[in-house]
Amino acid sequence: METVLLLLLLLPLSGSAINAAVGRLLPRRICEVIACAAVLGALIMAGIALALAGKQTYDLTFFPWITVGDFSAAMNVHYDPLAAIMVLMVTFVSSLIHVYSVAFMRHDSDYVRYFSYLNLFVFAMLVITVADNLIFVYLGWEGVGFCSYALIGFWYKDAANADAGRKAFVVTRIGDIAFGVALGLFFVLFHSFSLTYIDSHAATLTSAQATILSLLLLWAAAGKSAQLPLTVWLPDAMAGPTPVSALIHAATMVTAGVYLLMRLFPVLQLAPIALGLIAAIGAITTLYAALAALAQTDIKRILAYSTISQVGYMILAVGAADIVGGMFHLLSHAFFKSLLFLSAGCVIQALDEEHSIFKMGNLHRLRPMLSYIFLAGALGLSAFPLLGGYFSKDRILLATFIYPDFSYKILWFIALAAAFLTPLYTFRGYFLIFTARPGGRTAAEVRPLPKLMVWILWPLAILTLFDGLLNLPGGIGKNFLGHYLEAVPGARPELGASVGLEWIMGVMSAAIVLVSLLLAYVLYVRRPAPEPLRQGFHDFLFSGLYLDRLYQVIFVGPYQRMTEFMKGRVEEQGIDRGIVTAAVALFNRFWDTANFLWLKVDDRTIDGSYSKAATGFLTLSRGFGYWTSGRLSTYVKMLLLGLTAFLVVLVWGWYD
Amino acid sequence: MLHFPLLSIIIFLPLLGGFLALATGSRWPLLCRWISLTTTLLEFSLVSSLLFLGLQPQAGPTGVWLLAEDYSWIPSLGVSYSLGLDGISQLLLMLTAFINILCILVSWRAITTKIGAFHFFLLFLESSVMGLFMATDLLLFYLFWEIQIIPMFFLVGLWGHERRVYAAVKFVLFTLCGSLPMLIALVALYVIHGQQTGIYTFSVAQLMHTNFSYTTEILLYAAFMLGFAIKIPIVPLHTWLPDAHTQAPTAGSLDLAGLLLKTGFYGFFRFAFPLFPLAAEASVPLLIALGLAGMFFTSWVALAQTDIKRLVAYSSIGHMSLMVVGVATWNLLSLNGSLLQMVNHGLSTSALFIMVGMIGERIDSRDFADLGGLWAKMPIFSVFFLFFALASMGLPGLNNFVGEILLLVGIFEARPLIGIVSFGGLIFTVIYILRMVKDTLFGEPKTTHTWVDVSGREVVILVIMALPILYLGLHPGPALRLLEQPVQHLLAQFSVLALVR
Repeated sequence: METVLLLLLLLPLSGSAINAAVGRLLPRRICEVIACAAVLGALIMAGIALALAGKQTYDLTFFPWITVGDFSAAMNVHYDPLAAIMVLMVTFVSSLIHVYSVAFMRHDSDYVRYFSYLNLFVFAMLVITVADNLIFVYLGWEGVGFCSYALIGFWYKDAANADAGRKAFVVTRIGDIAFGVALGLFFVLFHSFSLTYIDSHAATLTSAQATILSLLLLWAAAGKSAQLPLTVWLPDAMAGPTPVSALIHAATMVTAGVYLLMRLFPVLQLAPIALGLIAAIGAITTLYAALAALAQTDIKRILAYSTISQVGYMILAVGAADIVGGMFHLLSHAFFKSLLFLSAGCVIQALDEEHSIFKMGNLHRLRPMLSYIFLAGALGLSAFPLLGGYFSKDRILLATFIYPDFSYKILWFIALAAAFLTPLYTFRGYFLIFTARPGGRTAAEVRPLPKLMVWILWPLAILTLFDGLLNLPGGIGKNFLGHYLEAVPGARPELGASVGLEWIMGVMSAAIVLVSLLLAYVLYVRRPAPEPLRQGFHDFLFSGLYLDRLYQVIFVGPYQRMTEFMKGRVEEQGIDRGIVTAAVALFNRFWDTANFLWLKVDDRTIDGSYSKAATGFLTLSRGFGYWTSGRLSTYVKMLLLGLTAFLVVLVWGWYD
Repeated sequence: MLHFPLLSIIIFLPLLGGFLALATGSRWPLLCRWISLTTTLLEFSLVSSLLFLGLQPQAGPTGVWLLAEDYSWIPSLGVSYSLGLDGISQLLLMLTAFINILCILVSWRAITTKIGAFHFFLLFLESSVMGLFMATDLLLFYLFWEIQIIPMFFLVGLWGHERRVYAAVKFVLFTLCGSLPMLIALVALYVIHGQQTGIYTFSVAQLMHTNFSYTTEILLYAAFMLGFAIKIPIVPLHTWLPDAHTQAPTAGSLDLAGLLLKTGFYGFFRFAFPLFPLAAEASVPLLIALGLAGMFFTSWVALAQTDIKRLVAYSSIGHMSLMVVGVATWNLLSLNGSLLQMVNHGLSTSALFIMVGMIGERIDSRDFADLGGLWAKMPIFSVFFLFFALASMGLPGLNNFVGEILLLVGIFEARPLIGIVSFGGLIFTVIYILRMVKDTLFGEPKTTHTWVDVSGREVVILVIMALPILYLGLHPGPALRLLEQPVQHLLAQFSVLALVR
């Protein structure tokens, strides 16, 4: 087991290292094979590990990393069912995306850099997934952050892309600060960074301590998972290549925050207030992003906002103390969202890098297979009845509804409203891209795509359609996933709602989705007015509710002015300038005088007479002549004199 | 006690090499370079070999050391030539020897005038810093402390850039302003101790037991701290450093960042704190305030720089500021973090200075207006640049992270609020580092310079710079073990602060 888990981590790391070190010297095909093989190998290891472990939990230490007194950051893993599922998902989606990338990046000459970052990302993500020591988690956490930064700005020649990467790094770092402070607090309270230790000793926390810790973790998760108020980086992150968006900014990294909360759920459990706030952030973010998604025109930005919205549901699930539901939605979201992104990548390349959905259309006729695949993803995202996305979202709504606190009813309602908007914005996109409409694309405008790029999507499409079987609310496979996760601290396989309520909620969710779909059909197919929303309101939604502009005004602008002020007023006009300038002038005068004395007095008289006096000295002075000529000689001679004196004294003292 | 004077050899070997370099420099410049390189390599292997001697701490007349030398020097004044080696010195010696190898290597092509003297000054500086890190006699320490000004002055003043005289004079002025009060305090300390005990000595181990009135202690401490604070530098006293860095040749910047700043820091925790614990304790709030102010202030100023070398110089001050907060906190984690961070900072900042130097050698400019888009022009250079920038901003897995996390958790443990603020400082570091990376590597090239990617020699330099950064990031265990005993010793020595906690 140890070997399997070690290989799981080391395969992607070595893939990255090999490509980074010698990738430039290898033929392109070999680089691609190394990168894909590394991740496929990790997938196989994930499978073996799952088969070996079953429902068991493994705690293994690979390497002691930093040890000072009580402070112990070891490279160790805690492999439990939650990690097992996450590992399988991460390696599976990564494998498909690596293969897809081979086709997607076929015209890009910078494939070595691309694949070594992508491999490194998989490694760092797997570290987050399995690591037990929180500092080791932090290594993965910052590692994925760096890879995300580097891949968002992958096409670095456009400074805007580099800026988007930088924004992502800085905004998520704002979240990481809370992670850091939480680390400090964990150390003070537990003298340990081990997840398992903390989870098993969480009961010793007072409610206030648990609340503070939970809020810090929420803040950290909000940064990584792009939740309010730290959502702003994710839409801009779409500047990266589309497979990167699919892998990092949809399926895996953005769920790392949720995953962290799940891993530390025993701590959150003790803090009802924090749970409430977590749920509130989740619910409000869900609605916020759904609204913003309604007005986007860039296909990738629609998907980015939908990601923020869907991750909001997962956060809500954690807040409603249902980590099984959260994990279930995390899985189904990973499948349908990476499917959507990858098929969006196909659409974009087929239309020659066109991103605006208003400049698409007619694609169903021109690329039927792509259309069906995209449709599968869109249905998953919309939570179409009986798909995985439907069951998982329904479970979260149910868990929120039955949570014994009235305020959750409000959150439930907010989340329900977002559930209504989801099919609307999803199918707005689908209809505008694929249905026949005037001003749509013609066959001549659509470029051929490598077959691989479309075929590789089928596994994801099938999973999107059938992953509901993982955790059916009733029947033969009832709560299969839930029971598998039983051993995870805080997991509740059954929510304990009455069958009647489950049916009512299920039917209601289904009805909402169908009504919304119908509305989308009416708005965008039957009556194809380009944008039904009023202009001012549209702008408001389009800009992500002006959140970016707000931050610009409150934080970024003042910060820039502050730096200019500090540099201009304080640093460059500091008082030391005047004093030092005067001293330099004085020194220069002294310098000239000394030089004068040296040249006139010393060089011409003493040195001169020496060299004339004896020819024997001439050879000697030639040897040293180079360094006794010119200004330099002044210092060196003085220095040598001083040094000799020093050495003489030293040696004198020694033998005294 | 070892009779073979290994420590003295470590100190004077570079000086010997320096004289050889000086003698050969003008006739056979290549020979001079090779002599210098051999000397630094020999020195490094000598210093490293100490690790394998299986040294155990032994109590002697000058304290508990792994290795000590103690000779009476000027008996009438109670001055002795006494050296002591512990884990802290050991780490710093290795850093010093390592940085000096690089100094020689980066100057291989960059320095073309007065080659002999240049190498002589480099090696002379190495000797003085080596001595400083081992001196256990306060007067001997002061001697090394003062002597290092001379080579540094010439390195900046003779081989520097346009405004080198200004920068060199500024450096000397600032340093002297700090060290003269220190000399007075030194003598005062000597006299007070002599009057109390009848033993006139400069031995630190004995001076440690001097009793002062509170006012005297504060005054003496302030005089010592002023010198150290200027060298570290602690923020309002830092203005000489950006100028010195900007004007210095690359090797000079390496010496400044890698060695000279460390000497100030070394005096800070080795002498100022243990000698004057009560005064030190009183100064803790001030030090923390200045440290925090320094962190934020330098982050702001760094962001606004147009000269990349100045930006790196400010980032260097920012890193030192966090370490000052760490020492002022004075607990197990923060001390370990600070001491380890001395090495980490020496490595990563030097690496950045080397890279900036490479830019300067290529286009004779360090202005962001002339940079940008280097990734397309110099891919190998860019990979290393990004790597060192990431190390500098504390990415886990690289060296700075280890020191930073120990520091931050240690600070948080002692003073949660200060800890939170320090954590907050990390954001601002990221902002200016990423700005530097973006404006150097990304975007379209802004000028039409022809860029030549790194040469074989430069790759060697960068690789030997990158290896310890990676090693200390992933496996800091051996370095931390070296610090274990000395840190315990420091903590015990300074029990007053510990008792207050």
